[in-house]
Amino acid sequence: MSEREVLEFDVLIVGGGPAGLSAALRLAQRQAERGGDPLAIAVIEKGREAGAHALSGAILDPSALRDLIPDYAAKGAPLDCPVEHDDVYFLTERTQIRFPFTPPPLSNHGCQIISLNRFAKWMAGQVEAAGVDLFTGFSASEVLFDGDRVIGVRTGDRGLDKHGGHKANFEPGVDLRAKVTIFCDGVRGNLTKTLVQRFALDAGRLPQLYALGIKELWEVRAGRFPAGRVAHTMGYPLNMREFGGAFIYGLPGNLISLGFVSGLDYEDPLFDAHQVFQRFKQHPFVASLLDGATLVRYGAKALPEGGWHTIPRLTMDGALIAGDAGGFVNSLRLKGIHLAMRTGMHAADAAFDAVRANDVTATGLASYERAIEEGPVRRELFPVRNVHQAFEHGLLAGVAFSGLSMVTGGWWFKDPMPAKAGHERMNKLAHGTLPAGEAPISPPTPPPDRKLTFDRVTGVHYSGAKHREDEPSHLIVRDTDICATRCRVEYANPCTRFCPASVYEMVDDGAGGKRLKINASNCVHCKTCDIMDPYQIIDWVPPEGGEGPQYDGM
Amino acid sequence: MILVVAEHHAGQVNRASLEAIAAAQQLDGPITVVLPGSGVAALASSLTQADVSAVVALEHDALTNYTPDGYVSALAAFARTLVPTHIVFAHTYQTRDFAPRLAARLDRPIVTDCTAIKRDGQRVLVTRPMFQGKLQADIAFEGPAPHCLTVQIGAFRADAVRPAASPVGVETVNAAVSAADLHQAPEAPFREAKQAVDLTQAERIVSVGRGIKDQDHIALAQQLATALGAELAASRPICDSGWLPMDRQIGSSGQTVAPKLYVALGISGAIQHLVGMKGSKTIVAINKDPDAPIFEVADFAIVGDLFEVVPAMIAALK
Repeated sequence: MSEREVLEFDVLIVGGGPAGLSAALRLAQRQAERGGDPLAIAVIEKGREAGAHALSGAILDPSALRDLIPDYAAKGAPLDCPVEHDDVYFLTERTQIRFPFTPPPLSNHGCQIISLNRFAKWMAGQVEAAGVDLFTGFSASEVLFDGDRVIGVRTGDRGLDKHGGHKANFEPGVDLRAKVTIFCDGVRGNLTKTLVQRFALDAGRLPQLYALGIKELWEVRAGRFPAGRVAHTMGYPLNMREFGGAFIYGLPGNLISLGFVSGLDYEDPLFDAHQVFQRFKQHPFVASLLDGATLVRYGAKALPEGGWHTIPRLTMDGALIAGDAGGFVNSLRLKGIHLAMRTGMHAADAAFDAVRANDVTATGLASYERAIEEGPVRRELFPVRNVHQAFEHGLLAGVAFSGLSMVTGGWWFKDPMPAKAGHERMNKLAHGTLPAGEAPISPPTPPPDRKLTFDRVTGVHYSGAKHREDEPSHLIVRDTDICATRCRVEYANPCTRFCPASVYEMVDDGAGGKRLKINASNCVHCKTCDIMDPYQIIDWVPPEGGEGPQYDGM
Repeated sequence: MILVVAEHHAGQVNRASLEAIAAAQQLDGPITVVLPGSGVAALASSLTQADVSAVVALEHDALTNYTPDGYVSALAAFARTLVPTHIVFAHTYQTRDFAPRLAARLDRPIVTDCTAIKRDGQRVLVTRPMFQGKLQADIAFEGPAPHCLTVQIGAFRADAVRPAASPVGVETVNAAVSAADLHQAPEAPFREAKQAVDLTQAERIVSVGRGIKDQDHIALAQQLATALGAELAASRPICDSGWLPMDRQIGSSGQTVAPKLYVALGISGAIQHLVGMKGSKTIVAINKDPDAPIFEVADFAIVGDLFEVVPAMIAALK
């Protein structure tokens, strides 16, 4: 049996997304400016390559990029599609109504439509060119502590069999120790989750609110939807009490990025975000666009929507949290990449100064939260701090409050506007789920036509997701009896509907009942189950490094 | 001249090496087949049945057990003496391990997992799947030869190899292996599980899906497999439930096969399964649901209850 290897760094960054890569590059830049003993910096990323798990719409506000890499165009940044035209539509079942003007937060003038996958790959190239080690294909399975000080992470074991035993190719995880660890493990990051619990980082904050985005990349007929065109929709197939909407972005090469974001705070346990997306595609407005088109790629990912009041405490002794892991998304502008990059840069500055000053305690790292408070992050997020919470009271209330905030700077009688976690809003079946007059939107799912609509398993194929079949499940359900007994009666097993990848299935148990079957190899790493399970008994932990979706071009 | 790198394991030439020869026969020029190893001249003689101009046993003690170091060192030196236009490999696990490094050592391009070879005037185009087989890309090589390509298992048919009019002899060449290249001391190869089956070598496969309903019914499929002289395989749900071992799973997270006959019993045809078997020569599908996607790739479609159809098939075969 091999010894566990230990590697030492000054700064370790967990997660090679926009936040982590920006932090790494910023550290290398600070190093180059200041000279002195070079810092040992490393980034670990669970995807097979940088960007493999990066999924977003995406429209990039280039503000943070301009500050991080002023000559990004000369360096070949894959920004080749400026937004030319913005529209917002309200959909009814049969028609669409275009807003006479584009609400200012949804105006994307000066922004770029990007593939986040390609962008992250390019960023990774910049990071490696700056001399930072980027280890892709390594997941981080646990945080290492010395007392209450974070001292690094342990990477996941490789070569485990289905029951956790060691196969012939077993390799134990490696301990990566660092003076400062920056956690950029994304929305509902598995390590950030344990840090939040251990240190009660969310004390005094509102619960985070999430949404689930399902996205497909389509190749459409020439001229159907020009590159640079942006359309957002509200309304159908959601009802007035459900949060969400769609995006359609035109990319070069007759590609369109088509997605639907559904709030993970719905009341109806029968709600089915995947089915909502299929129905959206069948709406005449979208179906006409997709006529003769072919599906290229599928993906799904949760996003943090709660905003300013839901951001947890971000500094600990020896550690910082940045990007989606910290909840840095402007849900009114539907943007977070620039905030992830900005917080990554701030975290790098704080980590660099703390290592140089030889004080990596929370006090030594405090300049991180100050930079957020005093800089562009708060300036952008504070005025819209109550917006997502207002949508809890329905679409009309949300839209009205969004408009009002632009005048009042986000003020409300109760600030923060109270809200409860999304999974707590789900009604039990017996309660009667919807106000009178509104039809539930999740009837028995019609069979997919395999041209416009697809089942989840086909989606999984188009996500490129791969996991070894004979490894332990990386979805840990702490009590599967609940699934077969209480959950079945109270919520009709919503996991079978909210998972966009058919991971959860209720099958006959051979004794007249049902039991939970977990198809872990289908998982696209969206984290929805960890978020939305009404009993909070599902833990998403990373599978073997290098597994998961492969979001090429997404 | 085209160089084909053949592969052997446990005293047998890999069937996929014949597929690589079939691919090479679609290119222009005489073909040299090389089998690296130690004491493999007799083994190499099985390759002389194909229409090729030379079969070389590339011998060295360092090649007794496979290591990427030894293979890259020996094959790089050998390829430099021959200067072939193309080097063709079957896309096996072993090839995946060393061929990219060999191409890098030679500083020449490699295109992996090719499914077809075409011509565009003087240029050779190779086709390879992208996005899990959704798109097919035609790729032209650039720069000086040799150009390396690996061919997908089942894309070229071993039974389509043009046979030799008069077989050539096996030529033994002592490999030039640089000691400085060797950093690995291999132990004897082992199999992870003793009963592991290699379905890619099967000529006939009977495969079961969810429609079989119960583990007890697997025996029925086994009877059909026995009657056909076929291997038994399954789709993911069957292996995931533990009704058949995982090494019998066909599809994107199992094995990719291209037998002469593939009989799908109660398999709906999720795309993950189809990508693992759609290269089969003749596909017979039995399913209750006339809209099942499996029928889109089937050559013979039987819409019906497999519990009625399969016993009738077994009876007819007997």
